[in-house]
Amino acid sequence: MEGILQVFLRPQFPGLLLTHVELSALAVALATLVALPVALAVRNSPLGTAIAVNAGNVGRAVPSLALLALALPFLGFGFAPSLVALTALAVPPILINATTGLREVSGEVVDAARGMGLSEAQILRDIQLPMAAPVVFAGVRTSAVQVVASATLATFIGGGGLGNLIVEGFQRGDEAILLAGAISVAALAVATEALFGALERALTPKGLRLARRRRTK
Amino acid sequence: MEERAIPRAAAGLLAALLAIALVACGNVGESGGSGPGAGEGGGPAITVGSKNFTEQYILGNMYALALEDAGFKVERRLNLGSEQIADRALQNGQIDLYPEYTGTALAAVLDYEGDPAQLDTPEQTYQRAKELYAGRDPADTMLRPAPFNNTYGIFVRREAAERYDLRTLEDLAEASPNLVFVSFSEFQGREDGFPNMKENYPALDFKDVEIVNSIGLRYQGVLQGEGDVGVGFTTDGQLASDRLVVLEDPKSIWPFYQPAPVVRTEVLEKNPKIREVLNEVSASLDVETMRRLNGRVDLQKEDPEDVAREYLEREGLIN
Repeated sequence: MEGILQVFLRPQFPGLLLTHVELSALAVALATLVALPVALAVRNSPLGTAIAVNAGNVGRAVPSLALLALALPFLGFGFAPSLVALTALAVPPILINATTGLREVSGEVVDAARGMGLSEAQILRDIQLPMAAPVVFAGVRTSAVQVVASATLATFIGGGGLGNLIVEGFQRGDEAILLAGAISVAALAVATEALFGALERALTPKGLRLARRRRTK
Repeated sequence: MEERAIPRAAAGLLAALLAIALVACGNVGESGGSGPGAGEGGGPAITVGSKNFTEQYILGNMYALALEDAGFKVERRLNLGSEQIADRALQNGQIDLYPEYTGTALAAVLDYEGDPAQLDTPEQTYQRAKELYAGRDPADTMLRPAPFNNTYGIFVRREAAERYDLRTLEDLAEASPNLVFVSFSEFQGREDGFPNMKENYPALDFKDVEIVNSIGLRYQGVLQGEGDVGVGFTTDGQLASDRLVVLEDPKSIWPFYQPAPVVRTEVLEKNPKIREVLNEVSASLDVETMRRLNGRVDLQKEDPEDVAREYLEREGLIN
């Protein structure tokens, strides 16, 4: 019987870890590329915003195993179908946060800017985006942590990753293998949260950071 | 927009509630209920248990229904878990009987010193398990097993079998460099899984091995040509399809796994009719039947108890 440590020392382990990280990172990146333009497009329309947010909520409810079964005839086994399913999972938090974040930028601020003669493009670039950034970023962060935890689904369709260990441990009734997989995923999720937390602090415009600090005094 | 929004929202809500209701109704659980039995027989209830997969739910329900029809009061405690859990429940008296496989009993439950795969026939496997069960304290009786073998099944699409002339695992080994094997983590990791195959058929050298941990996607993938060879269990419902061919194992590298009721001997002695009733059920089964029944539950999502009852009624084993 292997102990947890022996599982980490298996020659296949680094590969599983790497695949898991690759899948997660790509899924979040692709999801951002999909969700952000949509959020930008609907930012000035209440109807568009409502549709986007509701689509995001519905998207959260789609069962991933069903997605995998649908993707199989087109994408086969492996990385591609896993990525598609994960990207679908990653989009909703980003879409919802980006949409509401952009909408929440105070109408008065935008009006004042228009009054000053700024163009829509300038308003977007210099006012809406920077003010929405923290909320958007929080969406990406939530999505990333969720994706790291959910990338275990790749095991069901030959995509590899840490899910392989969890399922093997479960099927064989072997706690050590199961725990090794589960602990790895949990550690990755925590590390992702920490990484994005640091990034968020770095990217929040100085003005907002100062304003927040002042408010808490 | 406002005036039409309310009826539309109500319609949406109604549709959502309907959908939830349909899902809930269709979602008949895998575990049989544990209600009191319908039998009018006097005396304490016989508690029937089972392990936690489809074939076990079907067999457990068959035993329970047959006993009820014979006049016993029956309680069901199906879906207990693995053989470790089921056996513990048996020895504690929490259940009186459950279906166990002869090979599994030797490999995982009893103190069998040898290698169950070395036993030459299903009968030998059964006799060894029966002896060891009888020698326990409290003693158990393993009744006659059903005459089918639920072991690993290596399968290919019919076209591939015809193209490469595949009938046995030996043939498969020779053709393997052209073929992609779709497996799962447990099979690759267990000594008696893939390593066992490689040891006994050394020419095995697949072009690629995909680890796909969903049994449904494995079968779907092989049927759609995403992989050429798959591994499942010989009584899987998907194998009832004539599009798939199970390869023969001339070297008999795996133990025989025939399901038999394992009963607490003291319960059997108080109720000797149990033996006759359950032996009749077991004798009626074969691998094609089991595949069909498993398929109805796994693929058509029918309830295991309904499937068991219809089978017994059609065979005239219950009224």
